[in-house]
Amino acid sequence: MKRLFGSLHITLALFIVLSGCSVFGAGSNQLTLGAKTFTEQQLLSEMTFHLLENEGYNVRQMSNLGSNVVRTALENGQVDLYWEYTGTALVSYMGEDPIADPDDAFAEVKRLDKENGIDWINVSDVNNTYTLLMRQEEADELGIETLSDLADYVNENPNTLSFGTDGEFANRPDGLPSVEETYDFAFGAGQLRQMDAGLIYEALYNEELNVGLGYETDPRIDQYDLIPLEDDQSVFPPYNVAVTINEDVLTEHPDIEVLTKELADKLDIEIMRQLNYEVDVEGQSVSIVAYNWLVENGLLEED
Amino acid sequence: MSKNQLINRIVKTVLYVLVALFFIWTAANGYYNRIFSDSETFLILFGQHLLLVAVSSLLAVIVALPLAVFVTRPKYKKFEWITSNVANLAQTVPSLAVLALMIGILGIGFAPAVFALFIYSVLPIFRNAVAGFNSIDSNLKDAGKGMGMKPSQIFWRIEVPNSSYAIIAGLRTAIVLNVGTAALAYYIGGGGLGVWIFTGINLFDNGFLLSGAVPVTLMAIGIDLLLAWMGRAVTPKGAKSATLQTVE
Repeated sequence: MKRLFGSLHITLALFIVLSGCSVFGAGSNQLTLGAKTFTEQQLLSEMTFHLLENEGYNVRQMSNLGSNVVRTALENGQVDLYWEYTGTALVSYMGEDPIADPDDAFAEVKRLDKENGIDWINVSDVNNTYTLLMRQEEADELGIETLSDLADYVNENPNTLSFGTDGEFANRPDGLPSVEETYDFAFGAGQLRQMDAGLIYEALYNEELNVGLGYETDPRIDQYDLIPLEDDQSVFPPYNVAVTINEDVLTEHPDIEVLTKELADKLDIEIMRQLNYEVDVEGQSVSIVAYNWLVENGLLEED
Repeated sequence: MSKNQLINRIVKTVLYVLVALFFIWTAANGYYNRIFSDSETFLILFGQHLLLVAVSSLLAVIVALPLAVFVTRPKYKKFEWITSNVANLAQTVPSLAVLALMIGILGIGFAPAVFALFIYSVLPIFRNAVAGFNSIDSNLKDAGKGMGMKPSQIFWRIEVPNSSYAIIAGLRTAIVLNVGTAALAYYIGGGGLGVWIFTGINLFDNGFLLSGAVPVTLMAIGIDLLLAWMGRAVTPKGAKSATLQTVE
């Protein structure tokens, strides 16, 4: 028990020192850059790291934080900035309904986060939202390109296409029920195959499913030769990634907005998926992929 | 009534009251509405759950019982430790890991889920059956031999009846655990009521959670009672007093 309390004290002390650092660090050129647990976040963080270091900032990276953890850290000032998704902030942190238009969604999170002392800058076209996937071949064969095509096909051939999803998407009001309502069709109860979301890509590839839930920037879409069906009636809320930053830090260092702007402008869904592919599928290191892309796109001078 | 019996009865009563209160509270909050409002899905999931348990348990019985008979024959006694160790080893791998490994071989869905549940059910059935056969008083078998019984007669008339209670106790353990573990089949698309349980956890939705979890619990209790009754029914009168005391 004594040992436990001992380590608790050390942890507490460290915590106080660390949070002190970031409070006092705001005046210096010291920045703490947060990132969530997945590859895309680490790529964004690594790119931002290079851009800021290049301008003489002393940047500390805090990666592999859960969504709620990194958000709380930003609110408490332990993290100065990180890349966040508009949809996640609206729905998960603010408890608001999702907003269909990407620009409106961004404007709304920016407005709502004012009172939290957090600013949103440089929204990018990288929109890591839900998508429904099919094998390229089968989609071509059945003539399905959009969710409307899918709805028509399901209505004409009920109970033929199996649909893989996780339990959450299948039952969330803004998940499958909203898709089925908007496009006016329904997968039969027997056609729903609910499983862990990570398995769906390979199950599609192995022809164990016809249609499956996925995320737009997931590299496995390319790896398994799948196509995301076009959401032609915009049922999925936008999850555009943007920089969230502590207001005081931004006031102190307005150049951060300029430094990250070109990065946000140049990225889009396809590029993000490709970069994720290079890391997750080809096994290249995050830092090399991030650095090379910055150099190739003229955002960074090669050393 | 002894002191222990009194305590036993009080604890039981309190538990029953708590369970009843829980049911009243959840029913009053409409946490079971999903079963009725979406009864089509419920029946599909319930059926899948039963099928997962039934197929995997049946396979486990088919494999474990003959194996237990085999290793308890004096001639093949030397195999007992190795089969026990293999069965033990199979049990130490986390069930989620077995599921994950099976995806690579059997893909997603029903088959890998059944296989993982099968692996999990083999050990308790096997171990109880071995213990049951080994616990039989050798005097009984000697008496049978003295009466001129053939080995097969000794097996069917002495060994099986006298170990049946232990064997069924193993079945009870295995199948009741199996009903709960089958909820994990959700992760690999095996279906079953785990779909609602994990959806409930992910969405913080008690309606989903309880509409899935309570039927699973009732299924486990029902199967347990059924097998307990079977265990009593198959045990011969003469063996009853002795075996009931040792196992229960």
